Amino acid sequence: MTDARILVVGAGLAGLAAAAALARAGHRVLVVDQALRPGGAVHRQPLPGGRSLASSAQARRWRALMAEVDAQGARIEIVCNTRFGGVDHTGTVLLTGEGAALINPRALVLAVGAREAVQPRPGWTLPGVTTAGALQTQIKTTAEAPAGRVLLAGSGPLLLALGAELVRLGRPPLAIVEAGRPFSRPLRSLGLPLSYMAEAARHLSRLLAARVPLLTGAHLTRISEADGALMAEVETRSGARRFAADRIGLHDGIRTNDTGLTDCAALPVLRLGDCREALGANAALADGRAGGEALAARLAGQPAPTASTTLAREASAQARLAQIYAHDGATRLAGLPDDTVICRCEMRTLADLRTLGPAPTTRQLRLDGRFGMGACQGRFCAEWVARIASPIAPHALGMPRWPARPISVADLLAAPDLTLGETK
Amino acid sequence: MLIAGAGIVGASIAWHLAEAGLRVAVADATGPAAAASGASDGAVSVASKKPGVMARLATGSLLYTRALAERGLLAAAYAARPSYVFGAGEAEMDAIAALIAKLAALSGPVRVTADGGAGLLAGAGPGVERLVALEGEGHMPGHKAVRAYLAHPGITALWPARLGAFEADDTGVTIDLGGRALRVGVLVAALGVSTAEIFPGLPVLPRAGQLIVTDAGPVGALPGSLTAAAYLLAKTEGPGSGTLPPVVIDPLSTGQFLIGSSREDHADPTRVDFATIRRLLGRSTAAFPALAERRVIRAFAGIRAAVADGLPIVGPLPGNSRVILATGFEGDGICLSALIGREVAAMVRGASPATDWAADLSALAPTRFGAIRKERVA
Repeated sequence: MTDARILVVGAGLAGLAAAAALARAGHRVLVVDQALRPGGAVHRQPLPGGRSLASSAQARRWRALMAEVDAQGARIEIVCNTRFGGVDHTGTVLLTGEGAALINPRALVLAVGAREAVQPRPGWTLPGVTTAGALQTQIKTTAEAPAGRVLLAGSGPLLLALGAELVRLGRPPLAIVEAGRPFSRPLRSLGLPLSYMAEAARHLSRLLAARVPLLTGAHLTRISEADGALMAEVETRSGARRFAADRIGLHDGIRTNDTGLTDCAALPVLRLGDCREALGANAALADGRAGGEALAARLAGQPAPTASTTLAREASAQARLAQIYAHDGATRLAGLPDDTVICRCEMRTLADLRTLGPAPTTRQLRLDGRFGMGACQGRFCAEWVARIASPIAPHALGMPRWPARPISVADLLAAPDLTLGETK
Repeated sequence: MLIAGAGIVGASIAWHLAEAGLRVAVADATGPAAAASGASDGAVSVASKKPGVMARLATGSLLYTRALAERGLLAAAYAARPSYVFGAGEAEMDAIAALIAKLAALSGPVRVTADGGAGLLAGAGPGVERLVALEGEGHMPGHKAVRAYLAHPGITALWPARLGAFEADDTGVTIDLGGRALRVGVLVAALGVSTAEIFPGLPVLPRAGQLIVTDAGPVGALPGSLTAAAYLLAKTEGPGSGTLPPVVIDPLSTGQFLIGSSREDHADPTRVDFATIRRLLGRSTAAFPALAERRVIRAFAGIRAAVADGLPIVGPLPGNSRVILATGFEGDGICLSALIGREVAAMVRGASPATDWAADLSALAPTRFGAIRKERVA
């Protein structure tokens, strides 16, 4: 039995904007999110009773969106602590957690955001080394800086934002190791929207005031453990440097969070926001709203509304940012030592990959090499395996497969089947 | 010699020919173990085979696989291990009785070591009414065997290269291989599910089976595969013959479990559905409750090549002794590949069939379908 509702996965900017647009068109919408509260990655809310670190502009944007959602009353139901277990070829969706159920929604909106890329380098799997985004999440939920000395490395504007946030909390990072040289040609930045420039200026002034070293054109080449600390070896334009840190946040760019998301011919499936194209918060909000309106029009058999100009503007700004931060860090993959871990699920190394010979097939990579066979299904390693092994197939580790994230057998069996009986 | 198809059957044939000193090339549209061989549970099982020719061939091939493992060739691929068959309800009790009778009649290397209730197997759950423990079978992941066979220095690998049209005459076969013309003495078509593309007259159909892979846990939690008797029924009487899901719980060397499987007539490897997954997992956890603590990390459909009459197709194309078929094993290639490889290699060389492990392949000959239409060179 088809549920009359539309299911939106992800209660971040894109998901909630889409839900509000769909509800305004008269649809009933169920929004699920794996976190304990709505917000997504950008507006991640502090733990209950905790203090929010969000800037006033961020807080305003979130309050405005929540007001839009609240105005729709019972047409929008948000269920948190609920994981999307995938959609099968019959159009049935599996939810586990608080909102556990098998349902047949009328349409499915995937707004599950972006993920971070972390390029393998020796020592990247050591305890204490995480993504920069994980540090950011920790800060947003606890309103505290992580304990100990923090080093940030990789590439992209997120490193500056996180570094500035650490300064604000009174715990400046040891340094920011940036592979690109974003400040080498300042004129390139002139094409960026003013809001981007203003934000970057705020972050930079904080970092400079706290005398945080900004090492550009620099690479974190190796992490090892010594004397209870993480030793980070950094190659800079003016020579080698070493840092002893307690936490290292790595960030090598943002990718769409679409591993294992399968499409389905049995119902309309839309990807909105960063999980369609990683363009940041403003774009996610605009894409969610426009995508929700477009889906409502499609379900009503009406022509699609005109495309959002915000989206085009943000796409061009992100393209310019990518140029500003461009670097050749990925070429370093070829020169990594043989024992560098590539797949952290099963700790498969570069040597294991090289053993497979030139141009391995997907099956050889998976079955013989065991790349992409662990719990993450290649979410974190597929990109690097493809770059290093130059395999034959375009999808180096195969097509997306269900489930996107591991699902407990007990949860899978316990989810009540609402596809047979009445709608909830 | 060209072997078209780098699955376990093609790889075994190639190895046997190379071992006899012949120059062999193996072509595949994708690469080694790209279809059923790479998506199987790896059971080298006599118990699961249909009584008659399949059970006899499986017995011979099991013994020969063991011999190849002892020789070293399949040492890293094959491992002996116990296997367990369980059942509940009348139909499965009958299937278990038939299994015991079949194994007794074969008096081969596979024997029943215990017959009783769930108490025979540590961890067996309330879904097990009767359990038989078997000794003598083994486990061989298809891709490991393929890799071992194809490592022979006398084999040339050609992939990706799709077999197109071909034309046989008295002295050899002219082949279109991925747009390239090739002349070979003999063409062996071990094409599995792609057979129907080249030989549309043969009743070879894709038969998908949904498979579930769990995360890793302690290795050895289950010493060998745990198979529902409904699986024997499905193999003997065809898909849809029973009401209980024909599950096989296969412990992998990584500490993971591979759980299968359904039998569905389509060829889409991405097609899984929650209803089937839940049916398979529901029965599996009733039989082995520790599974409920695992997580599913992957599900997919393996595509087997099935033949309408339930028997593989092995032998020369009627009226065309330079084209030999070896296909349609519907998942049984893992067990049968060793012996089939040896016999087809003998066929190719015109040698008389070996006398050990009595391997009478006449019931599998393609002549049973009459004259076979094939794609011809324009």
